[in-house]
Amino acid sequence: MRGSYVLRRLGVAGATIVAIVLFNFVLFRLMPGSPERILLRGIPNVSAERVEAIRDRWGLNDPVLPIVIDDAGVRFAADNQFFKYVTATAQGDFGLSFVARGQEVRDVLGQHLWPTLLLFGLGEVVAIILGLALGAYSGWRRGGPIDHIGNGVSLFLYATPYFLLGMMLLLVGAAIGLPTFGMLTAGASYPNIFARLGDLSAHLFLPLATVSLGLVGQYAIVMRSSIVETLSEDYVTTARAMGLRDGRILRAHALPNALLPTVSLIAINLGYVIAGAVTVEVVYNWPGLGTLTVEALGARDYPVLQGVFLLLSITVVLANLGADLVYGLLDPRVRT
Amino acid sequence: MTAAAAYPAGTIRRRSRLRALAAFLRRYARRRDGMLGAVILVFFGAIALAPDLLVGPLETVVTATGARLAPPTAAFPLGTDHVGRDVLNLTVHGARVSMIIGLLATLITVFIGAVVGVVSGFVGGRVDGVLMRITDFFLVLPTFVLALILTPIIQDLVGSSSREILGIRMTLVVIIIVIGITSWSSTARIIRGQTLSLRERAFVDRARVIGAGPGHIMVTHILPNVLNLIVANAVLVFAGAVLTETTLSFVGLGDPFQPSWGQLLDAARKNGAPGLLAWWDFVPPGLCIVLVVFAFTLVGGALDDLLNPRRRARS
Repeated sequence: MRGSYVLRRLGVAGATIVAIVLFNFVLFRLMPGSPERILLRGIPNVSAERVEAIRDRWGLNDPVLPIVIDDAGVRFAADNQFFKYVTATAQGDFGLSFVARGQEVRDVLGQHLWPTLLLFGLGEVVAIILGLALGAYSGWRRGGPIDHIGNGVSLFLYATPYFLLGMMLLLVGAAIGLPTFGMLTAGASYPNIFARLGDLSAHLFLPLATVSLGLVGQYAIVMRSSIVETLSEDYVTTARAMGLRDGRILRAHALPNALLPTVSLIAINLGYVIAGAVTVEVVYNWPGLGTLTVEALGARDYPVLQGVFLLLSITVVLANLGADLVYGLLDPRVRT
Repeated sequence: MTAAAAYPAGTIRRRSRLRALAAFLRRYARRRDGMLGAVILVFFGAIALAPDLLVGPLETVVTATGARLAPPTAAFPLGTDHVGRDVLNLTVHGARVSMIIGLLATLITVFIGAVVGVVSGFVGGRVDGVLMRITDFFLVLPTFVLALILTPIIQDLVGSSSREILGIRMTLVVIIIVIGITSWSSTARIIRGQTLSLRERAFVDRARVIGAGPGHIMVTHILPNVLNLIVANAVLVFAGAVLTETTLSFVGLGDPFQPSWGQLLDAARKNGAPGLLAWWDFVPPGLCIVLVVFAFTLVGGALDDLLNPRRRARS
């Protein structure tokens, strides 16, 4: 891979992250109400000293931008809200949460990160394996019964919002007695780690099935069209002319090349996966970032929302960067 | 303009356009998937036009007549919700709200996308550079997450008044605007690509030679030629807009006084309908969303095959 390609990708990703951080700053200034009231909303009976400490910590008495234009002319202000915001953001300091009764937003995000990673990490793995297999098979046997059924189901799943799928599965799960609420049975005590893991898996089953089903459709559609396109390439015809067996053509020639577009799709999809995360978790009260976001939305907990926005958007930018770099490694044609 | 109106070529051009449209419709009618989608959309469009004629005015907590969360009966073919409102009534009215939000958000999205795309592709140079950097930013950013944080901020800025614009409550107006300003980037990209190739064509050079300014060329020569793409793209944007609205409403940003399908699903979830096995409370609005998005995807795919020059060449 050429250095300039890597450098340019890194540059674009870096610029986007800078833009996201700036954007977040502007959003915060847009919000109604005085900033210290939003920052301190989680804490009852705030003393005047506490307000002053907060105003000082966030530099709310300082000018907004480093360059001040007033009656005395244009001058530079070293103490300003913008620099303080950037410093605080770089240190992961997003203020105090309202819904978590005055806890640091950073800690609140940390607690909710693991359930989300568990659910969506596993969901992605299941969906990728199933989706690629289904797509490859139906593309290979184009026009066959599996292809027809698979295509219809994929299109329908693609049109179904994750949370709706979740509500349907919850209905089925509730009818047959599967746990549908949270990550562990409330108030349960476990004799050993295995009992705990068993309870977790039982609770994980329905949300995981929802996430995987929601993702499978798109992966299958892309893999199918990718295989179909690859099969019309000259090298596949050559392989056939050489008398190679079908299975070998698929595994050695068609599959590796057809996987390429799927790699970028999976990374680009991460943004949509996050949108799904928000809603699937809510359906099952899964204690992850999605449920946290909806609680924060209901209470207008802006510090938490800002933290979620920064965390998720920067993750997506990095995932896209990763996809670009992997794509460049796999396909020499894009290394320009 | 006056010269064109006096000249008979205008009528000839119009007639040939009509003939082209008829030929296009014939080709479209041969697409079974496209026709299926179109039939579904016409059905929901008709419902959205006159919900009052079909099921009477929207039922509220005050005017609800049924028992709470009762399964379907002859009087309530789709059962009742947690306050005793007729689910059929709510779903039919929800069609109007969801479709109007989707339509207006699509118009804003496509308008911004087309303007950015045409200007960026035609003017080129530094303008193109700046506009495409902004487009890239919106393409890379998870726009749903952006919409998720913009919506409550703007809703709070506007205030929780009961003001309405064109009969749409402010909460929903905010959702329409937020969807519009966050989802135009892929449209802009597509239109820019087409504009770039149109710019090099002979008829644009000819127009420039006889003294047409850039604004005139963009409006009368470029725009009609990217209209195909705009229409095909708009259908797909519509599907996305309905989904985004549904999701925003589902996380509680909708308006209970003008319930969309997403808002109905939010209410059903909050009241535990799925856990209580009350399928009638959320399956009807849910199925409507799936059908509408499915139909838009079918129509969009068919239009894309027929109108997109690159695809047409391949097939």
